[in-house]
Amino acid sequence: MPGHRESTGRSAASRRGRTRLTLLAQYALTGVVTGCFLILATIGFSLTRQVEGFLNIAHAEMLGVSAFITWGLNAAAGWHIVPSAVTAIIATAFVGLFIGRAVYDPIRRMGPAVVLIASVGVAYVIAGLMHMIVGTGIRTLDIPLATSYRAFGLRITNYQMIVVALAALSSVSLALFLNRTKTGLAIRAMASNPELAASRGIDVRQTSRATWLLSSGLAGLSGVMLALVATLSTDIAFGQILQILAVAILAGLGSLYSVIVAGLIVGIAMDVSVFFIPAGYRPLIAFAVVIIALVLRPEGLSMKRAS
Amino acid sequence: MTGLAQFVTAVVMYGSLFSVLTLSLNVQYARGGMINFGTVAYFAAGAYAYAIVTQAPPSGLDQYLVGLDQPWWLGVIAAGLVSMAFAVLTGWPTLRLRGEYLALTTFAFAEMLNSLLVNERRIGNGTVGLANVERPDAALFGLSEDVVYAGAAFLLMLLTALAYRRLLASPYGRAVDAIRDDETAAQAIGKDVSGLRFQVFVITALPIGIAGALYAMITTLVNPQLFSAEVTFFVWIALVLGGERTLVGVIIGTLALVGFQEPIRAIPFESVRAAEIAAAAEDVVTGILFILILRWQPFEALSRRRQAA
Repeated sequence: MPGHRESTGRSAASRRGRTRLTLLAQYALTGVVTGCFLILATIGFSLTRQVEGFLNIAHAEMLGVSAFITWGLNAAAGWHIVPSAVTAIIATAFVGLFIGRAVYDPIRRMGPAVVLIASVGVAYVIAGLMHMIVGTGIRTLDIPLATSYRAFGLRITNYQMIVVALAALSSVSLALFLNRTKTGLAIRAMASNPELAASRGIDVRQTSRATWLLSSGLAGLSGVMLALVATLSTDIAFGQILQILAVAILAGLGSLYSVIVAGLIVGIAMDVSVFFIPAGYRPLIAFAVVIIALVLRPEGLSMKRAS
Repeated sequence: MTGLAQFVTAVVMYGSLFSVLTLSLNVQYARGGMINFGTVAYFAAGAYAYAIVTQAPPSGLDQYLVGLDQPWWLGVIAAGLVSMAFAVLTGWPTLRLRGEYLALTTFAFAEMLNSLLVNERRIGNGTVGLANVERPDAALFGLSEDVVYAGAAFLLMLLTALAYRRLLASPYGRAVDAIRDDETAAQAIGKDVSGLRFQVFVITALPIGIAGALYAMITTLVNPQLFSAEVTFFVWIALVLGGERTLVGVIIGTLALVGFQEPIRAIPFESVRAAEIAAAAEDVVTGILFILILRWQPFEALSRRRQAA
């Protein structure tokens, strides 16, 4: 019966069309999760860039530090995940402060290029130490397996939802912190004009300390997220810095909000690209977006010009 | 060959080879004011160009499409040209960016090239790479091949250094310096700022590409793993180590870094874990050295004192 066959064929085709669309939507949804993670990872990087005035390549290694402190406390020492994560975030914040004081402060006067190169050295040291202590291979946290939830044919795991919720929560509280509190306003003043800020009586050292704690703490938080949703291995950090750089360039020197937009763009672009081209190209997509953006808009998404 | 002779040969060979990169980077950075964080891409472009031009056409399990099976010297020429072409391609859209933005974009280009080499198997077999890369028979005058290749690398480094010296001592070089020192002033007296920067960027890619070809001959293997961002960082560390103002300092810095890394690589390890720890320790020590050197800049101070005297 040709007619019958044709009708099933058509419905199969339409079903296939619908599943393809659902698949695309699924990739976009995963992209949002990736984007949320990237937002948190990049905000800390961007804060350092604005207040301390250089690109901190070692920022991604801080994610690794936090992820592995969490792993060490949770899987190796047998703590519950929540106290391990909190301890990891606090520890990472202070490690960041220490590195800022010991390494970057003395060479700041030599210009952003020298400090940028020094941060590569820091990244080497941290990565090397992690390899020595933890070793290569894949690690897993001692947490319950992810539960999937389904809605409209889309899947999302509870850990992915935690990532999105934490990203939203910390973005909002960060915005409130930067706009409402004295330290937050001091950080913003330092970011936009350090000399003016200093001459208006802002305590530069204290503000810089707050920035290091804040940006490394955010790195710590994103490190915990990484430990929750990604496969954990010691070379994880290097891949993250590429994506963080991509988001940071795309966002330009602008506000928190441009980081949020840029993070979502890069995250969604990377994950949706998997739908069309081999997954190996995923990191390449992040940079393709950036290069297109840089050529079209050298000043980044925000309207501010690079100094 | 005794252990020491082998060690010296290796240091001269890789030291000279990477010195070519450091010298080029030095011209780009210290003279041209351009931070190129994607040095490895031009090196890789040269090596792959050489391998593809000299490789026999694909057979059996090979996935690459083109193998031209040409003599080695044609491969070397192609390496230089392809590297320059890649510099044109990447320099054109990015050189109007300044400072760290340029650093990031060049870094991005290098990562993209690496990712392309991994994913696009038709270029060079993907992660497997191209093995048994053609190398000219180098057993001259009864010397071993390694010694001859070390000599070739040394010669390439010498030629590069001399060429840069000539170039930078010329009025052309002074124009480049003028742009670095004060862009507005240079523009005001009629120097084509963006044109000159672009030219420096493309010219310096030539020796990097040829060094890439030589590297492919020495290792007889090209694969994406050999051309990771680590090469770029290595060259930058060497540049900082040697101080960025003098060509001799740059070469000494590179040789010192290779001389420091070679012995660690040569130690035979009992277990994988021990080798792993040693490799990690090497990174840690390199990083610490790097930070200390940037902090106190001993070599820079030394060269300043020599100049003052």
